[in-house]
Amino acid sequence: MITVDDTRVIGEARVLAGTDQGRLDLLRHRSTHGSLPALTRDDYTKLCEAVGLRGRGGAAFPVALKLQDLPARGVEAVVVNGSESEPVSRKDRLLLTRSPHLVLDGAVGLAHALGAPHVLIAVHDARAATSVREALMERDDRLAIEVQETPGRFVAGEARAVLSALEGGAAVPPGRRVLPTRKGYHRRPTFLSNVETFAQLAVLARLGSRGFSSTGLISEPGTQLLTIDGAVRRPGVIETPTGVPLDTVLQYSGAQAGPVLLGGYHGRWLQRTEGVTLQRPEVSAGIILALGSDTCPLGEITRVTQWLSSQSAGQCGPCVFGLAALVDDFARLTVGDPQGWHDAHRHLGLVPGRGACAHPDGTARFLTSALEEFDDDVQHHLTGQGCGRPVLGVLGGTR
Amino acid sequence: MNKLEIDWTRCDGHGLCAGLVPDDILLDEWGFPVLRGREITAGELSDARRAVLACPALALRLNNR
Repeated sequence: MITVDDTRVIGEARVLAGTDQGRLDLLRHRSTHGSLPALTRDDYTKLCEAVGLRGRGGAAFPVALKLQDLPARGVEAVVVNGSESEPVSRKDRLLLTRSPHLVLDGAVGLAHALGAPHVLIAVHDARAATSVREALMERDDRLAIEVQETPGRFVAGEARAVLSALEGGAAVPPGRRVLPTRKGYHRRPTFLSNVETFAQLAVLARLGSRGFSSTGLISEPGTQLLTIDGAVRRPGVIETPTGVPLDTVLQYSGAQAGPVLLGGYHGRWLQRTEGVTLQRPEVSAGIILALGSDTCPLGEITRVTQWLSSQSAGQCGPCVFGLAALVDDFARLTVGDPQGWHDAHRHLGLVPGRGACAHPDGTARFLTSALEEFDDDVQHHLTGQGCGRPVLGVLGGTR
Repeated sequence: MNKLEIDWTRCDGHGLCAGLVPDDILLDEWGFPVLRGREITAGELSDARRAVLACPALALRLNNR
């Protein structure tokens, strides 16, 4: 279990600057980062475009495009999505707990630039919520700022589910695919993004595009937050330049040799890590899980699938029945039933694109890449012998 | 551009749509519709509209974007 006390930096500390000395109150925040320049909406759009800033919640949508999609007038709210519903991820609660003013600067600065009267912060973690509330007492932003605790279910972190929860409704995605930039908070234009996106915006506003681009990739400069867990000696959150080699991060964290799951439970498996660099969209919300070599991969994957199936909001038939069927397929495959293998392939074709949110799609992506990357293991299991390794639960999942 | 769409939060798998537009909608093993996803031609429009009206859950829509 990762605590937010384990933080490390490879290269230059930007969003994590000063956090090694504990939580940054307003005084320490100002002395570490300086004060936030007042920028216009046009400034923000140009800056985001110049550095190719992408949302840090997983979908990696370009922030400049999101800003351009907002209407010229009548932006209702800026929403900070801190629900962090990926069970392994710790980066967002770390930022909110240790550097709340940086996140608030990003959200407040943008709200002023957009003329939005509301800033809403959706938080799942109680410690993070307390930290943000304490930070708000220290500042006066001349805006209506609200902190709301949202449920921790996996799909409750989806953007439109968060908006629904903020409006007092159920934290589930609605059936119609609408963009928050057009119909967001109370069906009004809304800018919504992940906690880390706002921290990066606050850094970008201060450094300018040239300063921001002094580290990381040319295509997407700057730093990124990663959460690493699984078969590693030192799990935790790391700030690195974008495009850092995966092997560097694995070595730094003391990861056991073995396959890696990149991008969390909706991510992809990698049998080989050399030559892989960490950038969006592949790195998604920055979660890296090392499997190691002492545990049974198929057993681990089945456990995660059980958990993913249990996290369905129960709204959409293909997700409810499809994910439950996949759990059963993988369990049968693991004990050597060839029909389980055939059924898994059929069901993986039936699940994607058939739900209100991307939960079925993400689960299918995870399992499809598992069948590809662990084909040798699958063949072993199909002989009925298994792989001879126990299921240690290094990926988390069903406990 | 007419296409059939499903609001998955509403669909309960009654399956009437598959009987009314069998060329465009099949049912999966759990009774939920699988859309072929192609465009609805002018000649098929009346059948597609009938299927939309027949959906007991108001989950089927004809989108003309």
